Amino acid sequence: MQLIGRVRRVHEPIRLVVSPLRRTDPRTRLLLSVSASLAVMLPLERTLIFMGLYTLLLAWARLLPSAGRQIWRLRWVLIVLFAFDAIFVDLTLAVTVTLRIVLLASVFALFVGTTTPEELRLALERLGVPYRYAFSLSLAFLSFDLLRDEWRAIQEAQMARGAWAPRVRLRDLALSDLLALTVPAIVLTTRRAWALTEAAAARGFDAPHRRAYRELKMGRVDGLVIAITAIVVGLLLFL
Amino acid sequence: MFGVLTADRVAYRYSGNSMGLEPVSIGLQAGDALLVAGPSGCGKSTLARCLTGMIPHLYRGQLTGNVSLCGLDSRSTPLWRLSECAGFVFQNPAAQLVASSVEDEILFGLENLGLARAEMRTRLDEALVRFGLDTLRARSPLTLSGGEQQKLVLAATLARHPPILVMDEPLSMLDSAAAEMLVNDLASVAQAGTAIVICEHRFEPLATLPGLRTLRVAPPHEPSSQAGAVVAAPLSAVPSFSLVVEDLGVSLGQCRVLDELAFQVPGGQIMAIVGRNGVGKTTLLRALAGLQRHDGSVLVNGQRPDLAMVFQNPDLQFFNPTVREEILYGISEPDLERYQGLLQILGLSAYAQTPPLLLSEGEKKRVALAIALMRGPRHGVLLDEPSLGQDAAHKACLMRLARAVADSGRSVIMTTHDLSLAAQADRMALLGEAGFLADGRPGEVLRDSSAWSRSGLKVAPWILAAQAEDALCN
Repeated sequence: MQLIGRVRRVHEPIRLVVSPLRRTDPRTRLLLSVSASLAVMLPLERTLIFMGLYTLLLAWARLLPSAGRQIWRLRWVLIVLFAFDAIFVDLTLAVTVTLRIVLLASVFALFVGTTTPEELRLALERLGVPYRYAFSLSLAFLSFDLLRDEWRAIQEAQMARGAWAPRVRLRDLALSDLLALTVPAIVLTTRRAWALTEAAAARGFDAPHRRAYRELKMGRVDGLVIAITAIVVGLLLFL
Repeated sequence: MFGVLTADRVAYRYSGNSMGLEPVSIGLQAGDALLVAGPSGCGKSTLARCLTGMIPHLYRGQLTGNVSLCGLDSRSTPLWRLSECAGFVFQNPAAQLVASSVEDEILFGLENLGLARAEMRTRLDEALVRFGLDTLRARSPLTLSGGEQQKLVLAATLARHPPILVMDEPLSMLDSAAAEMLVNDLASVAQAGTAIVICEHRFEPLATLPGLRTLRVAPPHEPSSQAGAVVAAPLSAVPSFSLVVEDLGVSLGQCRVLDELAFQVPGGQIMAIVGRNGVGKTTLLRALAGLQRHDGSVLVNGQRPDLAMVFQNPDLQFFNPTVREEILYGISEPDLERYQGLLQILGLSAYAQTPPLLLSEGEKKRVALAIALMRGPRHGVLLDEPSLGQDAAHKACLMRLARAVADSGRSVIMTTHDLSLAAQADRMALLGEAGFLADGRPGEVLRDSSAWSRSGLKVAPWILAAQAEDALCN
């Protein structure tokens, strides 16, 4: 049996980064993240300009290390995609696609590193998303790590009975290997979703008189970040 | 007489037409405490859901009889309104956490009550102090221990000041120290006037709850386990050996979980490993199974041992359409005699063609055990919390099977919080943060009060009495 020592069963949720962006309103962070994601539509030259500006933003927000870690996790995907595009299409497309994925990964790091699920829920509510959908989205946001841990636990349990082996070559994968991993994953995810539904209902979810404990307030920094974002997006999209 | 909670001949049938609960009647006044006891599958969890309005609002089966919560009919009142009358704490605390911090977990229920912010702040602070969570308020609930999570869920529920509290198997995942703390908390809750319903088959720790009444729920059908069956050895005998563990150490992230553990387990021995939640019992089993990178060595005759592991959650393993295919999966030339023997011993003969995911939790655990034993591991099996969610009959069945495996010359190593189960092993080892605090015959270990005190656990007097009685009988 092969050892999979990297399996980590102690749940370590994503930690919030001590960043000047943490002090802004979550709606500002949401707007910033959505705007940055839109940059994937830009042509290569403008993407490069945007990436430069975005790197400066990440440095100001002290988020470069966490964005770096996020990109490092995707290194194999990036390498394979880059090589595939460079060989079968052309180098420009390879660079563009790679930069876009790097950008999306760092946007994810920015948002996750500065925003709690409760802030996301509140921001979405204030932006007019119905509470039950905002709540579901925030729960999904909260469940990233749990799903990762469960996936690892399934791999381990199937390995223990010889139903799956790690690092198999792609051509050696059988349908049963995929079933051994995906069926338990679907079952566990469905069960977790149902358990959370019951738990939320048991504490009055969907009550019509619900009142949020925390209030959102936009300040001067929010205004500044929003204005700069609007100018940069406007310039890159329309000039 | 009008009560805070009344259930009048309540019965429930699930939409698949399987019986969930035979008719039950309950009447509770403020401050009453009721234990709902009965074997696995008798409908305790179903009753808990009927008493909180989850049934019929979230389930589509057939409910008969009436449930009234604080004078509100459970059928015609919206669920959010019923939740203000009855708080519900589920079996697994980790599965009901909906927030990213301890504080937000408690606030979630308070926000749904629509309270003024000042009132929410007051209740939040009260709940944090009352349950000793004030120093953990910014922590992620998912990083807490099982006992702390149970406290948090209880705090989040009671901060809403429900007149009724319903709990489904609250003790099943707790070690003895956490269980004792929970029982003390419940005593103060009942004293404050909350009516409590506890559905639990580990009822001994609850005996100290003042004024506790017991309602026994009959199973809707006979239990499938052949608890009284004579167990034949399911595996052929193996030559004698000794599992030698030397300088075993495991780090998880920055945390050193196990350090320089050394022990031997001879073939034919049943060893129970006990200890507090989070002390590293499961990590130790995973290291023995070769699933966890570790320092030191785990060897039999100089080689890695062949040990099968049965996980706490059997759902991690099931993906085949029938129990038969699940048990025989991946075995090129299966020993069908062994397969039939295992089905018989484990009370699974009737379910050979049933999809494993449709079985009860107890039955699933037994299928997982059959999967492990069908492989015919040469040196033994590792059982992680095998008694979780099992009633006394199923535990007896499990111990008989463990004994049969040991009789074939193999080792059985199990981790458990259930000291009554551990007391039936040949050897008990109490794991603490600095390694084994005690290791020996269960009777000796259970009486080693200084080791238990260092581990932060307590042995309930009824366990010592039962163990002494068993020793006399043997």
